[in-house]
Amino acid sequence: MSMPELVRVTIDEKDVHVAKGTGLVETALSAGIEIPVFCYEPRLGAPIGACRMCLVEIEGMPKLQAGCTLTAQDGMVVRTARTSSKAAEGQNATLEFILVNHPLDCPVCDKGGECPLQDLTFRYGPGKTRMNFEKTTFEKPIPISPAISLDRERCILCYRCTRFSEAVSEDGQLVARNRGAMSVITTFEDEPYSGPFTGNVTELCPVGALLPTQYRFEARPWEIVDVPTVCGMCPVGCNTHATVREGKVKRVISRNHPEIDEGWLCDKGRFAFTHLRAADRVVEPIHRVRRRGFEPVSWPEALDVAESLLKAADGRAVVALSGSETVEEAYALAKLMRQGLGSHHAVLPEEVSAGLDAYRLPLSAIGDAQTVVVLGDVPLNESAPIVDLWVRAARRKGATIVQTADDPAVSSTERVVLIWSGPGGRGGARVGELAERLGLAGKDGCGAFYIPATPNGRGVADAWAACSDEEPAREPDSIGLLVVSGDEAAGNPNVRALAERAEAVIVISMFHGLAAGWADLVLPGTSYLERDGTYVNLEGRLQRLRQTATPPGPTELEWISQLAARFHVEIPPYASAVFAELSKRCYGGLSFGEVGERAPLRGYVEAPVHVEVPPVPEPAEEPPSGTGLHLVAYKPLFSGPAVERVPELQFQRPQAEIELSPDDARTRGIANGDRVVVSAGGVSVELRARVSKDLRAGVARVALEHSGGLLGNVEVAPAGAGVTA
Amino acid sequence: MSLVTEIQEIAAQYPQSRSAIMPALHLAQKKYGWLPREAFEEVGEALGLTPAYCMSVASFYDMYHLEPVGTHIVEVCTNISCALVGAQATLEAFERELGIRPGETTADGEVTLRTVECYGGCGWGPVVAVDQRYHEPVKPEDVPRLVQDLRNA
Amino acid sequence: MPEHHVVLAGAEERPLTAIADYRAAGGYAQLAKARQMEPQQVIQELLDSNLRGRGGAFFATGRKASFIPRDSAKPVYLTVNADESEPGTFKDREIMLRVPHRLIEGCLITAHAIHSKNVFIYIRGEYLAEFEILRAALDEARAADLFDGVTVVLHRGAGAYICGEETGLLESLEGKRGQPRSKPPFPAISGLYASPTLINNVETVATVPKVLELGAAEYAKIGPPDSTGTRVFSLSGNVARGGNYELVNGTTLRELIYDFGGGIPDGRELKAIIPGGSSTPILTASEVDTPLDYDALTKAGTMFGSGAIIAIDDRCCMVQLGLRVAQFYMHESCGKCTPCRVGTRWMVQILHALEDGSAKQGDLDLLLDVCDRILGKCLCPLGDAAAMPVASYVNRFRKEFQEHIDHGACPYGGASSLEHVFAPVDQHHHSPVAAEVPV
Ligand SMILES: Cc1cc2nc3c(=O)[nH]c(=O)nc-3n(C[C@H](O)[C@H](O)[C@H](O)COP(=O)(O)O)c2cc1C
Ligand code: SF4
Ligand code: FES
Repeated sequence: MSMPELVRVTIDEKDVHVAKGTGLVETALSAGIEIPVFCYEPRLGAPIGACRMCLVEIEGMPKLQAGCTLTAQDGMVVRTARTSSKAAEGQNATLEFILVNHPLDCPVCDKGGECPLQDLTFRYGPGKTRMNFEKTTFEKPIPISPAISLDRERCILCYRCTRFSEAVSEDGQLVARNRGAMSVITTFEDEPYSGPFTGNVTELCPVGALLPTQYRFEARPWEIVDVPTVCGMCPVGCNTHATVREGKVKRVISRNHPEIDEGWLCDKGRFAFTHLRAADRVVEPIHRVRRRGFEPVSWPEALDVAESLLKAADGRAVVALSGSETVEEAYALAKLMRQGLGSHHAVLPEEVSAGLDAYRLPLSAIGDAQTVVVLGDVPLNESAPIVDLWVRAARRKGATIVQTADDPAVSSTERVVLIWSGPGGRGGARVGELAERLGLAGKDGCGAFYIPATPNGRGVADAWAACSDEEPAREPDSIGLLVVSGDEAAGNPNVRALAERAEAVIVISMFHGLAAGWADLVLPGTSYLERDGTYVNLEGRLQRLRQTATPPGPTELEWISQLAARFHVEIPPYASAVFAELSKRCYGGLSFGEVGERAPLRGYVEAPVHVEVPPVPEPAEEPPSGTGLHLVAYKPLFSGPAVERVPELQFQRPQAEIELSPDDARTRGIANGDRVVVSAGGVSVELRARVSKDLRAGVARVALEHSGGLLGNVEVAPAGAGVTA
Repeated sequence: MSLVTEIQEIAAQYPQSRSAIMPALHLAQKKYGWLPREAFEEVGEALGLTPAYCMSVASFYDMYHLEPVGTHIVEVCTNISCALVGAQATLEAFERELGIRPGETTADGEVTLRTVECYGGCGWGPVVAVDQRYHEPVKPEDVPRLVQDLRNA
Repeated sequence: MPEHHVVLAGAEERPLTAIADYRAAGGYAQLAKARQMEPQQVIQELLDSNLRGRGGAFFATGRKASFIPRDSAKPVYLTVNADESEPGTFKDREIMLRVPHRLIEGCLITAHAIHSKNVFIYIRGEYLAEFEILRAALDEARAADLFDGVTVVLHRGAGAYICGEETGLLESLEGKRGQPRSKPPFPAISGLYASPTLINNVETVATVPKVLELGAAEYAKIGPPDSTGTRVFSLSGNVARGGNYELVNGTTLRELIYDFGGGIPDGRELKAIIPGGSSTPILTASEVDTPLDYDALTKAGTMFGSGAIIAIDDRCCMVQLGLRVAQFYMHESCGKCTPCRVGTRWMVQILHALEDGSAKQGDLDLLLDVCDRILGKCLCPLGDAAAMPVASYVNRFRKEFQEHIDHGACPYGGASSLEHVFAPVDQHHHSPVAAEVPV
């Protein structure tokens, strides 16, 4: 890459040297000078110069200029409000105009204290208003969805929200209606603003117009702390801040990691945190006592029970992992089982592979790719939503997005990125092989991604492997004890099937709904927001989780440490110490501190990965035969134990519909919205058809919860067409 | 020809199909008389845009009706040139004749009365457009006949 | 002095809508000639003629054409601005109705000059008859094989003054809300579909064939050196004979209003003149000898604008005039930038208070200050277009404004010619100021 040309810009009599084309706002900042902005937000595309907050004087230009729309040119002489009375007058004018109709309800506004408008008014604003007419009034606040409320009186029409909807998430749902002073932000026919990314507008809005419903009247800025952590809801691992007040999480907001999330979050990561306070949260251990049923027990008692169950299993214990454990937790559990009990049987949440380690890239590289190959048929915004945003960004920058590596674009472009999103990827091994075949190794800007099913599947596998050199074994013929670690495992039908065969079951779970009825001992689980530790995301990036809220009892690490002591296994109860121990084996001896707040992508020093076959049956990739379609049943973004417990997300749950390619719909005489019957092997479900342009012919797609258990080869026909299952 | 196909044909004239949204909205308005929800859905489908986007664009322009209007529309220019030569008197004549105020539609749903900004007939004001056809000038005394013609049409 | 027909030449007896008639009057000969010329030569003619844009800004036409890169990798677009919505202006309409082929010929010549194969004509939606005539003329020209690989798309607007502003027009043409773009980049570099784009007014484009026909040197001899040629002046308001008059630039307001327009009817007195469309600062009756050319009008503290002259007689209350003009700009503000969106509404509110007598001492200065805070701070010139004229009404008729405050009522006592005028902004709630949005 060539060096950017440096230019000299004079701002308020200070000279700075920046790369030519740097935004003037950034240029000024590098000289320590603030040009105040409202509408300017580089992540939303080209500046629009709408709010006029950033007016500056440029030598040689007779009129004031919107600084946000200009870029650094050599010899440019800029005067901001500090040194130009004209610019100051411009800035005052804008601020006065913005405040003309803005309500003075800062004391009850949830944005108060962290509001750019409030700050700028405080710093530069007029002391009193000259506007003595009635201000514009609106009904307020109105829900634009169950999760977001809109206060139109506060809106300053900066168009950040609508630009996000149009040019980032590309959902085209949030728009401006009317013209001029009558303009308002709205959705079509007052339908709720829905989609994976809607919550971002609450952070983009520079005033208190768009606010998360969950946060309404929950906290004042001087009572909160923002704890930096990462999201544990999917394998992307977006960097977040959890806003905490009195030990409770009140809000989750973004913490821009430019290589991972660019400051965007999906609505699951943002809004699902209230599952911490779910009504059916397990807050104390529960023991099943013969003839007396289930009864709560104290922690010491629970550990006694656990100890005896483990001893009774006598090496025939199996651990079913969720993939949402921290690396440290998984390591502790593994160490207890493997070193303390000599029990090496585990059911890992998913297959993992080291096959991609040579093709690691930051997610942001997708945005710079020229060709993106998306393989597999699970929609990216369901499995790893932020990846979908990167693909969209790439397309906007002119990249070609294709569904097969045979596409001519692959061989004719320099920067090619592969993404595997769907079943059959063998933990990334398949896409790794493809990357090798295409010769992507070591080529600038080229690489491959695999979308795992769980947030920390790789980290959990690393940890399990790191504890023992003993060959990992298949499940024993008879299962003495099944230890179910976490809610995903507890909700997995295959794990339930294993439990049927086990003599005893311990379940670690957050919710009664998942734990009740089938365990001899239920131990309260914690959420990623309640733990300290590390996760490995889909890039292979090791990231740091911080405890943001106080869990109802000890964390997994704390009680495993105590339990392990009874088996003479030493496990420190602190994540940092556990990490120090396992890091020597997995992560090249990196210390906890070095993981960093915005973790770099290090890649793997050595790859101790042991692949185990997960219990989840993977559908064969064979093409459908006859008139059948290959049904892909995916886990939707808005599903799972946490989402199910968040009222504000219920409207986002998937519809009972099946997606068909235009070709397949046509040949079957099916139109968008028609009722159809999907059947195979005597089982059938009725669904609504949605014709989807980005689906390959021969493939049909349905959300797992509406699949009726169907998978693989299915027949699809119009309902009422005499099809009998 | 369906509205969707008709729109797609127009779209072919433009380097980017989105450019056809204005002619498409004109067509849809001709079909429905105004722009109901279905109009936005059809235009959106034809051009690959969301209904919300189509509504947003339509609401920017004065000639698209986001609320139902009468079978006929009478528009009186009240900008300065017309106003200086008596547009208000002409408007009031329409109010009397139709029994409605600007922005309203007669109870039988026949006629909507509006005031509009300069229609570009200033030299021959007051300008009145009846169903998009200009009448220049229209004096109060011309109004009863105009309304009669409209009702007979 | 008679009218001087250049743009409207040949259409005195009857409109030249049929291609045969236009050809009989020498039409399309200049197109043939231009296509024999090097594009740069055509631009040179425009430069030498000193033709300046008739859309409002009076920018030198040849110079603007020369900004279009000659070796663009992207397609080059010519966009004709037929959105004519500046209050008082109706000249482009006359051109489209009477000499549509001259406009088409001008398009094809200009397209040749800038290596463009794609022409868009953006016509305001209200001009339905003009749209139909132009469409028929285009069909004729196409049938006559005059296009030579150039496509001309006629695009109908739908009622938005701001789409006359060049970048608002481009946004609208791209299928968006017609909100102007921040410049730079300028359209000549990145305009329609982010490609080089030349935007010209109907009258400007329709003048191009005549520049070639007369020759740049001859054309430049018409009118004063800095305002060469003729303009089709739109005359309206309190005059006996309103209408369009094509006159040599430099003709005085007096000649236009009294000689051509027949003077002020009903035995009234001339009170004020709006010289270039409603966005231009007002002149008093005493300035009626000002020549209609760029320099003279600038010197008089106003602007040439769109060449629309509105005569105002002594029955008009200036506060009401200000209110009506402010209402127009508030209604037409696109809503993108703060000063224009908020400022125009505030202006309307203050003017309302002044008019109904509820304004206080100090409100007049507040009004001027609001105008001043709009001026030069907006994204596009629409805000200025509201602030400049209203400020000029206050400055030139301050006494009349002050009387409203002193008497707590309009001194006209209900007899002003603009009394009660009901503007579209009022329709939403039948209230003086639309305070709310119907949702
Ligand atoms: C608010 C506003 C409205 C305008 N309306 C028109 C219009 O209706 N017609 C027009 O030709 N130019 C209009 N203009 C001027 C155009 O922006 C542009 O300068 C002109 O079309 C260029 O053509 P010309 O160089 O041939 O004059 C308007 C400008 C502004 C700021
Ligand atoms: S709601 Fe907020 S982000 Fe959207 S336009 Fe209004 S102020 Fe800007
Ligand atoms: S920040 Fe520059 S105009 Fe809004």
